[in-house]
Amino acid sequence: MIKIENLYKSFGDLEVLKGIDYEVKEKEVICVIGPSGSGKSTFLRCINLLEEITAGSVYIDGVKVNDPNTDINEVRKEVGMVFQQFNLFPHMNVLDNITISPRKVKGMNPTEAEELAIQLLEKVGLKDKAKAYPEQLSGGQMQRVAIARALAMQPKIMLFDEPTSALDPEMVKEVLDVMKQLAFEGMTMVVVTHEMGFAREVGDRIIFMDQGYIVEEGTPEDIFVHAKNERTKAFLSKVL
Amino acid sequence: MIWNYKELFIRGIWVTLALTLVGYIGGIMLGLLIGLGKLSKKKWIYYPSKYYVDFFRGTPLLVQILLIHLAVIPTIFGQSLGYFVSGATALMLNCAAYNAEIIRAGIQSIDKGQMEAARSLGMPHKLAMRHIILPQALRRMIPPFGNELIALLKDSSLVTVIAANDLLYAGKIVAGAYNRFWEPYITVAVLYLFLTFLFTRVIAYTEKRFSNSYVPRQRRRMFTFGRPTGGSS
Repeated sequence: MIKIENLYKSFGDLEVLKGIDYEVKEKEVICVIGPSGSGKSTFLRCINLLEEITAGSVYIDGVKVNDPNTDINEVRKEVGMVFQQFNLFPHMNVLDNITISPRKVKGMNPTEAEELAIQLLEKVGLKDKAKAYPEQLSGGQMQRVAIARALAMQPKIMLFDEPTSALDPEMVKEVLDVMKQLAFEGMTMVVVTHEMGFAREVGDRIIFMDQGYIVEEGTPEDIFVHAKNERTKAFLSKVL
Repeated sequence: MIWNYKELFIRGIWVTLALTLVGYIGGIMLGLLIGLGKLSKKKWIYYPSKYYVDFFRGTPLLVQILLIHLAVIPTIFGQSLGYFVSGATALMLNCAAYNAEIIRAGIQSIDKGQMEAARSLGMPHKLAMRHIILPQALRRMIPPFGNELIALLKDSSLVTVIAANDLLYAGKIVAGAYNRFWEPYITVAVLYLFLTFLFTRVIAYTEKRFSNSYVPRQRRRMFTFGRPTGGSS
């Protein structure tokens, strides 16, 4: 479903990704772990081309994302993204946050979009907040709205960029629960996370990244129990 | 003495207001285009926008007014179109340069996560700019736009040099007629002060109306009602 070939990314002289190859299959949940600055987020952001790719290719459903002839907006309709800082639109209420993209991008009629939004809010447990503004919500609620907003485009793939890192500890669970439910329903997900418990429980495969490389990859058991690489072991010994 | 010329002063007020408002509104619209141009990655859009701002901010308004009235408009139209067209055009072009900078800075002050979120939802750049970035940025631009309005009101007095019968011109006529300077120019000053005071009030109201919270008043009340968790007051 997602195929990444020999992906390089540099910011000026700084090489952040140094040749990444990976393939994500349909309905898989991939968790990307690793120390700060290892390139996890950049890796994720290259998938929907929020970062320009320096070299290599990313294919989604066989379409080369970084081909100049590819309409990136078409690709992004299929790929939802959730950010660490939520990035809700503060000037719109929750309902408008969710419906704006289906309405303006897909041309969905407003009633239909609203019904979809209510459905999604129900799913993330925030039906009563439809008319609230982002500033009236807690971090956990904002992130759940952000998930609903991404789902409103009915994407095939969801990318999560440290979705719980900016949350107060007591709000982490409500967000992870929504993500778990999503994984359970068969969504293809790539999750950059520091939540090892979540990665272990929900991830089908775990990627350990360090210094721009995928150091080790495997099932949660392969990584968390039988890690082979010294760097993986060292990292896990610090965070587990 | 002043009273005998009250109609001249009243007409002056209207001319000053009309020049200011036409120049300002045109300046905001043109400024928006140029401000967006200065944010463009396309060189053929960026450089003309940049040079425009450099020119109109870098040369005196007085020179611009004379240039437009005596050179540009007669060259294009073959004759003068009157002080109002020249004056309003000069004020608009000048105001646009300053507004362009306000707009550019306002847009750049919006967290880049907003654009990323909009783009990640499949919105093309233009759509995201219009529905996500500009509505937020415009709010932040209100205080500097207010300053610009007041500055323009005062700068509009420069059109007196092309014999526009604005407020300052009324003062000059009276001064010339009586060969007295205190009374007419004090009157002019007080009338300008009165106008800027009015504008200040409008700006203060607008700022208050659009500051702090995005939550409309009535709706906020609705949410604190019976559900203490709903609103963060």
